[in-house]
Amino acid sequence: MAFKRSILSDRQEAAVQKTLQNLRQQRRNRFRILACIDGSDEAFVTVRFAAQFSVQNNCDLIVLFVRPIDSGLHSGGLQVRLARQNMMDAGFDLPGVRHLKRALEVLREEGIDAESWPQEAAHQDAWGDPAGDNKVEYRSPEGRAVVLKLKTAPDVANGILDQYELGPYNLIILGEPSRWRGEFGAFFGSGVVQTVTTLAPCSVLVARQSLDRSGFFICTDGSSRSMHAVRRSAVLAQVIGQPITLFSAAVNLAGKPAADEAVANAKALLTAMQIDVADTRVAIGDAAEEIVESGSLYRVIVVTDEGRSRLQRLIRGSTATDVVRKARTSVLDVR
Amino acid sequence: MSSTASPFQLARDSLQAHEPSPGLIRFRRRGYQRFLAFMADMDLAFLWKRRWFFITMIVGFVLMAAPTPDGLTHQGQIVLVMSLMATMLFITEAIPLPTVPLLIIVGEVVLLKVDPTDVARSLMTDSVLVIMGSLMLAVAIVKQRLDKRIAWWIVRMTGTNVYWISFGITAVCGSLAAFIGEHTVAAMMLPVGVTLISLTSNEPKKVHNLAAVILFSISYGCSIAGVATPSGGARNAIIISYWKDFFYNPTDPATYRFLMDYVHWATYAFPMFLLRLPIVAALLIYTFKPEITDMSRAVSRLRTQVSMQGPMRASDWLTILIFGLTIVGWVAFSSTLGLGTVAIAGVAAFLIMGLVRWEDINGGVNWGVVLLYAAAISLGVEMKSTGAAEWVAASVFHTMEQVGVGNTLGFNSVISVLTIVVSNTMTAGAAVAVLAPIVLKTAVAAGQDPISAGFITAISSAFGYLTPAAQPAFTIIYASGYLKGSDFFKIGIRMMALSLVVLLAISVLYWPLLAP
Repeated sequence: MAFKRSILSDRQEAAVQKTLQNLRQQRRNRFRILACIDGSDEAFVTVRFAAQFSVQNNCDLIVLFVRPIDSGLHSGGLQVRLARQNMMDAGFDLPGVRHLKRALEVLREEGIDAESWPQEAAHQDAWGDPAGDNKVEYRSPEGRAVVLKLKTAPDVANGILDQYELGPYNLIILGEPSRWRGEFGAFFGSGVVQTVTTLAPCSVLVARQSLDRSGFFICTDGSSRSMHAVRRSAVLAQVIGQPITLFSAAVNLAGKPAADEAVANAKALLTAMQIDVADTRVAIGDAAEEIVESGSLYRVIVVTDEGRSRLQRLIRGSTATDVVRKARTSVLDVR
Repeated sequence: MSSTASPFQLARDSLQAHEPSPGLIRFRRRGYQRFLAFMADMDLAFLWKRRWFFITMIVGFVLMAAPTPDGLTHQGQIVLVMSLMATMLFITEAIPLPTVPLLIIVGEVVLLKVDPTDVARSLMTDSVLVIMGSLMLAVAIVKQRLDKRIAWWIVRMTGTNVYWISFGITAVCGSLAAFIGEHTVAAMMLPVGVTLISLTSNEPKKVHNLAAVILFSISYGCSIAGVATPSGGARNAIIISYWKDFFYNPTDPATYRFLMDYVHWATYAFPMFLLRLPIVAALLIYTFKPEITDMSRAVSRLRTQVSMQGPMRASDWLTILIFGLTIVGWVAFSSTLGLGTVAIAGVAAFLIMGLVRWEDINGGVNWGVVLLYAAAISLGVEMKSTGAAEWVAASVFHTMEQVGVGNTLGFNSVISVLTIVVSNTMTAGAAVAVLAPIVLKTAVAAGQDPISAGFITAISSAFGYLTPAAQPAFTIIYASGYLKGSDFFKIGIRMMALSLVVLLAISVLYWPLLAP
């Protein structure tokens, strides 16, 4: 008998796949933002960014807290799981619930009063952990959704990437990590933000405390990939009402005309789309350093991801990655 | 919001949601997480933490597979090895102690091929009921919160001098611990001691020696009285059980003396408590030389606190009445009803009168200890029935004869020192459970009185005085934070020597007068 992935009949399996496809298609028609929090006060800036980006009714905002599974014998073995079960039976909050409640308050401060919307809760077993995956979905009468998700995973970064599979999402927002590893060191393990930033299939915003500033500082090198990024990020800036500054850097004086042309082309593209450009700037020097230097006064720096693998980044480097690491403001890495 | 009127649709025109990762990457990520989850449950340190368990198992199975010595049956060899393994696990505490009795039960059925019903029957004896009842009674009494009143009664009788207060505390703790579990008395009286100390001075360093005198009065009061009556400690009940199992024969009236009743035991052992009672207080004052000798300041504050509690309530009097009746029951009816029955009748009375809730007893009794002694007694019985105890006893006696300690004093000294050494390394009750079958059989082989040998083993097992962990009562007072580890050794070595001398003197001068 041939190996089968499913115990369902072919007809039933096809129906399931079609349902899944429809669900994905429905989600593709929405702008889905995944805001990740780790419980620290600084991390709630991701929720504020997400709230400010989800201004249209086709936006879904998912606040995610990933809790590592209770490790086994490292910390007292089964007793930890038993204790967790007892605490849950006794009505104690799961770790992370408090942070998600705080996220709701942050959303209210940003003008999204999700608690007044109809809600629906769901629980799913995960990794044999008594807590499992839990989510509460609030949906406004206009169709906008806010989801609080408490996810359990053996590894936080991979938990976030797994969550993407359930999406998909248009944007993942993460807080700034305490440290970044070099490309070589990252081969042997990197932090949550670095891992997700490197491996996420969608655009990633590394949020810093820059909400007191304004403007999207959109960088371009004139390539087709970069122009796509400019167009898409400019739409976001336009929709949320942020002024746009276009920027290009030339390595030396000889490259300045090309940089000027790149900025001019980008401006023409946006003008054709009836998107206003507040300013254009060109600089000479190392691209990453110039972007960091010039863009720090803006709310968000937008860079285009080169789409390089880890090995390629190690050998050839990546301007986008350098900017994400070194910037003193939030950076949107567009894919 | 003005921006919602934009001609752009974010989902269509802005950042795009790309297809999820291709299958291989997803598969790798899931695999990596499964690996992490697996590693979270794997702990190489576990093997290290449990090393003594594995060593014990290996040693045990090697010895079981070794050739059987002459004069010993294979079943006897297995029982001896099981005892050795239990001893190793008791000493190293490689696994939670209540696990050892579970393994003993499994071993008796699987290795010794004893009928499971017989094993189950051997677990629940009157001695086990005594242990269980004593622990439950202690919880019921502690729940009544009579500690401050007891302290007030003590100082009313003793006055405010430190020596007499120390003597009073030792006497009261001893009087209670003679009948119920000593560690519970220590737990009940610790707040009394700490109250007296803290009412004297708020700075522990200034009253360290005074604290040592007061707190050691509690622990030694409990310790020296724990052997006074059968219900004072598990070790006593174990020895009584062994005497009956090893020597009692219903058809032989000469063996009726091995059915030890409450009064008979107290006649032998109570003098050990009475003789050491005044010595403890004197030794404590001599060793620690308290900074303050008059505690009138603390006593006046205590008097205020007791007055604020109001008069004795009906439930307090009822507690004293039931406890008193239980002691009367032990004294008057233990030979007919059994010690255990009286103990659990007392517990039942507490429950019926609503003085304690079952949940409190359930939460306050260490049921693992009950199981531990039940299985230890069961293993001791198997040592006897397989002839293992007799074989070891003959070997030990042969050795003792060779080194010239065949007389009564020499014999008593050897088994006392042996028990002290073992009980300093493991729980007193477990030490008695392991040693007693061998000691009793050795006594027979040496022509000594098994009653006397049993008492020496039981009483000596309470001489583990050297460390805070040696006895539960010590651990409890150590937890107060007033004492240092070295304090225990300082007083413990003197108490040990003194107790040994008193025990040997009694065994030679007093017990022979009681023998038929």
